[in-house]
Amino acid sequence: MTARLWLAVSLTLVAAPVAAQDTAQGRPGRPFVEGGQYDRPFLAHLLGRTAVGGYAEAHARWVRADGVTEEAGFSAKRWNLFTATQVSDFVRIGAELEFENGTDEIRLEYAAIDVGIHPVFSLRAGMLLSPLGKFNLAHDSPRNEFTDRPLIAIELLGVALSEPGLGAFGLVGLGGPARVTYELYAVNGFSDGLLTSSGEGTRIPLGRDNVEDNNASPALVGRVAYSPKVGYEIGVSGHRGAWNQFSLDGKQVDDRRNLAIWVVDGEAVVAGVKLQGEAALARIDIPPALRGIYAERQGGLYLQALRPFGAGWVRTMPQSEFAGAVRLDLVDFDRDIAGDNVLRVGLGLNFRPTRDTVLKLNYIRGASRDRFNNRSDQAGLLFSVATYF
Amino acid sequence: MPTPRFWAALAVVTACSDAFTSSPDPGDVLDGPIDGLTPDELAAFVEGDRQFGRPFAPADGLGPIFNNVSCAACHSADGRGRPENVLFRFNGLGGPQLQDRAIPGAVPEILPAGAAVSGRLPPPVFGVGLIEAIPEATILALADSLDADGDGISGRPNWVTPPPWVPSDEPGAEPGPRLGRFSRKGQVSTLLQQVTEAYHQDIGVTSDFLPVENTNPQTSRAAEAADRVPDPEIPAATIRSVLAYIRTLAPPAPGADTPERQRGRVVFHSVGCASCHVPVLMTGPSSIPALANRPVYLYSDLLLHDMGSGLADDRPDGSASGVEWKTPPLWGLRVMRDFLNGDAFLLHDGRARSIEEAILLHGGEAQGARDRFAALTPADRTAVLDFIGSR
Repeated sequence: MTARLWLAVSLTLVAAPVAAQDTAQGRPGRPFVEGGQYDRPFLAHLLGRTAVGGYAEAHARWVRADGVTEEAGFSAKRWNLFTATQVSDFVRIGAELEFENGTDEIRLEYAAIDVGIHPVFSLRAGMLLSPLGKFNLAHDSPRNEFTDRPLIAIELLGVALSEPGLGAFGLVGLGGPARVTYELYAVNGFSDGLLTSSGEGTRIPLGRDNVEDNNASPALVGRVAYSPKVGYEIGVSGHRGAWNQFSLDGKQVDDRRNLAIWVVDGEAVVAGVKLQGEAALARIDIPPALRGIYAERQGGLYLQALRPFGAGWVRTMPQSEFAGAVRLDLVDFDRDIAGDNVLRVGLGLNFRPTRDTVLKLNYIRGASRDRFNNRSDQAGLLFSVATYF
Repeated sequence: MPTPRFWAALAVVTACSDAFTSSPDPGDVLDGPIDGLTPDELAAFVEGDRQFGRPFAPADGLGPIFNNVSCAACHSADGRGRPENVLFRFNGLGGPQLQDRAIPGAVPEILPAGAAVSGRLPPPVFGVGLIEAIPEATILALADSLDADGDGISGRPNWVTPPPWVPSDEPGAEPGPRLGRFSRKGQVSTLLQQVTEAYHQDIGVTSDFLPVENTNPQTSRAAEAADRVPDPEIPAATIRSVLAYIRTLAPPAPGADTPERQRGRVVFHSVGCASCHVPVLMTGPSSIPALANRPVYLYSDLLLHDMGSGLADDRPDGSASGVEWKTPPLWGLRVMRDFLNGDAFLLHDGRARSIEEAILLHGGEAQGARDRFAALTPADRTAVLDFIGSR
């Protein structure tokens, strides 16, 4: 009797279309993650039942450090191709293939199957985009207001952070536009590359790409976000799991060493200024013989303000808009010493001929400090073009 | 008369210059090249700088046991290190140097109970090419092992035999005992040995010169399971690249010669500091023309001196006794604090936090000079400290 009841309930839930995952209660079309995997403009162009799209990004960079020009060149930074297939009313699959710096780095950034059961609970499996901070979930260059991603994303969290995993996501409507969304996955987690591949000290991004699990011990990653209305959201996310190979053939060869990362993100619009930010703390269990060289505690944040202006100023481009932006970046690679950090301020002037294309002109100025706390100044002018296609 | 437009343009240019960062004065840094290098030598300098700063990860060959991950991780901006970078030398199982760090799967060394331990602060790296280019005869002319002149200052060379793996065409590796002029007790005669052993002992990286891993004899755990990078982990070319770099690293420029410092120089000589801290030595011929036949204002005689029981480490090194130390050069003190987070760490283990404290800790052969310094009027003491601190 109990089994039949479960079967009946399950069939009822499965019947709810996956499309509902992108629909807040009472607000059809609002994406589950704004700017995320299924909130991309050209995915609407179906090829059979598969939508194909992508984005491209090109940079011109002039970067100086302590009076010396370190970069003066161009890069075909990214060319990403993504697909989304509505397999059935309740099953969809999305994928993203990234080509970075030509063919220097080619990786399957996302390839996940969603099984829609109910807006409150759906399954996702495959190569997931870890819900570790909002930026990792929505990091497409045409949406970003700066040429470079926030330092915390590049240096601390390793955006784009995708991991093989399995878990659930869903949303709970709170009446009107308000809602709570969540994602929770078991993933392979980080590998010991965060230590063994890095001579600079602990570098969490070097422990990414743990495609084949290194320690038979899944990690957990999840995010809960509350959004009272479109454009306003606060999220809390975390990632915890063992990074080292502590067991071989069932025999314990080392202590289990965990990595824990906590991220708080938020966005709001105040007086026409769009505010965004993210702050992260990481705790890495380092073997005693490496403490003092490899950091046990890291942290960082970015805060960004964007003010659009000049909509329609360019008469031949009625959808065009300008925007001024400012961003503060801070990454502290070792919170237990005075140095080993980076602080940067960025100013941006953007022009969007349409919503999906952006030309960005950025000035960056900052300083990094080595582990002796010796300062090195950096500055740069960056120009980039990014567009969805 | 410049117009307002000129001043406005100048202000914009100045602002823009700073807006895109500016280079520090070459005389204020510890990692600049010596003047007069050829383009080829400058190219080698830049490549060597890269290698000097290259951090090693376990996947690159770090360890199995080690002290730090790169040359630059111990020598702040190519200068001296901080107390947390002090290396400990000891006699006993695991010696002569304590490697207190280990990669995953390996076991770090520990100090044996009762071992005589000598802490050694990483010394500055700049100027070593100039030191190398000073002829042995020039240094030996300053030696007075038996204090024949009766001034209380002896000065003794540390005669060492370079290890057989150092090519004999390296300066300081010619056949027979050679004058040790590098390291705290002058126990090393060639830069190639110094660099190769630093990779091997400090970073745990094997090379063509020393291709066998330094392992921990205090444990039975096999290091091969931890460090799986094939040996040698770096080629001889990497050693030679770093060698080319440090050989051509310029010492920072001394400060301006103010009247106060001129008076300090006189006092420096009158109290006897210059007996060991010899202001200038001449280089001889060198394969690098920019290093050849030029004065070197290092303020050292590069000889061993008895510095008294207070500074003794009671640990002989080569022919240097437990109370002897090589006279450390004073160059670079002017900018020392700029690269140590505002601090000063002086003497062989960094125990002195100021030049004055370092002087007052002198003993042995330097006791007389130390006492004469202590007896100076405040004005003279300030002048001599200003002079030393401007080198």
